[in-house]
Amino acid sequence: MKKTKSIIDKIKEENIKQKPKWYFVLSKILNLLTFIICMLIGSLSFSVILFSIQQTDFDLISHMSHSRIELFLSLLPFFWITVLLIFLFGAIFIFKKSERGYKYPLYQLVVLTTAISFLFGTLFFIGGGSHWLENVFAEKVNFYENIHEKKMIMWMRPEEGFLSGTIEKVSEDEMQLTDFSNKKWNVNYKDAYIHKIVFIKKGEKVKLIGNITQGNKFLAKEIRPWNGKKKQNRGRNRSNKNIGD
Amino acid sequence: MTITKDICEKLSDNVIVKMSLTDIDYFLCLYNRYEIKLLRYIKRISGASDEQAKDILQESFIKIWQNLNNFNQRLKLSSWIYRIVHNETISCWRNNMSFGKDHQVQLDDNFIDNFFLDLELDEYKHQNEIHTHLILEQLPIKYKTVLVLRYMEEMSYNEISNVLKIPEGTVAARINRAKSNFIKIASINQFSF
Repeated sequence: MKKTKSIIDKIKEENIKQKPKWYFVLSKILNLLTFIICMLIGSLSFSVILFSIQQTDFDLISHMSHSRIELFLSLLPFFWITVLLIFLFGAIFIFKKSERGYKYPLYQLVVLTTAISFLFGTLFFIGGGSHWLENVFAEKVNFYENIHEKKMIMWMRPEEGFLSGTIEKVSEDEMQLTDFSNKKWNVNYKDAYIHKIVFIKKGEKVKLIGNITQGNKFLAKEIRPWNGKKKQNRGRNRSNKNIGD
Repeated sequence: MTITKDICEKLSDNVIVKMSLTDIDYFLCLYNRYEIKLLRYIKRISGASDEQAKDILQESFIKIWQNLNNFNQRLKLSSWIYRIVHNETISCWRNNMSFGKDHQVQLDDNFIDNFFLDLELDEYKHQNEIHTHLILEQLPIKYKTVLVLRYMEEMSYNEISNVLKIPEGTVAARINRAKSNFIKIASINQFSF
């Protein structure tokens, strides 16, 4: 009984106070908010990764004469993959530290947080949030290499058969194209496969697969829209040309 | 107001916590109820001396007092208290090299007498128990902890999970590994049970 007295005496003498209830409630709310923010940022990152995959033609890497692994790695959105991983780990860590978080095994938390961020990330992507976020970063963050810059790495290789740029002039079988380094090209697209959502008209940005025939002359075998390649399988030859622009 | 032992005995853990929030004297009930068990637990997992164990317990109860508003009634109070005491013990054990780490267990009579005198186990002082405690002293702390909680404090997996803040599956796996280690040490030392 002597020792118990001394504990109570110590508490009284040193005026040791109980932490108030609001302190714990606030701490729990802050933890919850941090968890939600981590999940939100993780979801946004995943949506930009999806956007990046949609915008980058990974299927063409196998046709490249350049080192495939090197090219593949240069096209991966490392920035967003890193952000996704950091915030997923952050969310898992915060959840683990929550009142009942320790009850869940790590693998369950990894699966749960990944599934949530993938679900919301896909919704953001469908809603166009990823495009918006990518643009914001491209404009505001100096070191950020945006998806378009990565795409240019892929599509500014005319000697390897990949060319991109803006259509300047269109005639029956040929068009004039200015690439992103302002070089002018005469493109023959007589036998080219043109994807359904591509409109061959002045001002349209396109991606071409083919080969250089001579100097600045390019023979196109396939024409894709600059922004993604949706509904690729429904393409057809030359049927949607808007000639005369 | 003086809280007598009789009053304390009639109150449940949760009621004592509620009363303690408004009247510090009720906190004595909590201390009295858990003191012996917790001192025994501290000494079992850390190898601390009587004095060191009492200091750890005092620090733990100050933390319990400070965090009383954070006690979740869905949890058993004993689990919550054991958790705080466990954390405090591990923290002291890590900071204080004088006990626990590199502790060499001697098989002399004095050690055994003191060990079991402290634990009020005089009447059970037979060979198996001596061997059990000697092996526990040689186990890594995480294995020693789960074995002590499971077989000496007689806690369920759920309670151990709440004390150590690890999933129940991890508790089960750790107990299994602890048992294997226990058997290995027993065979090395040629102890038979």
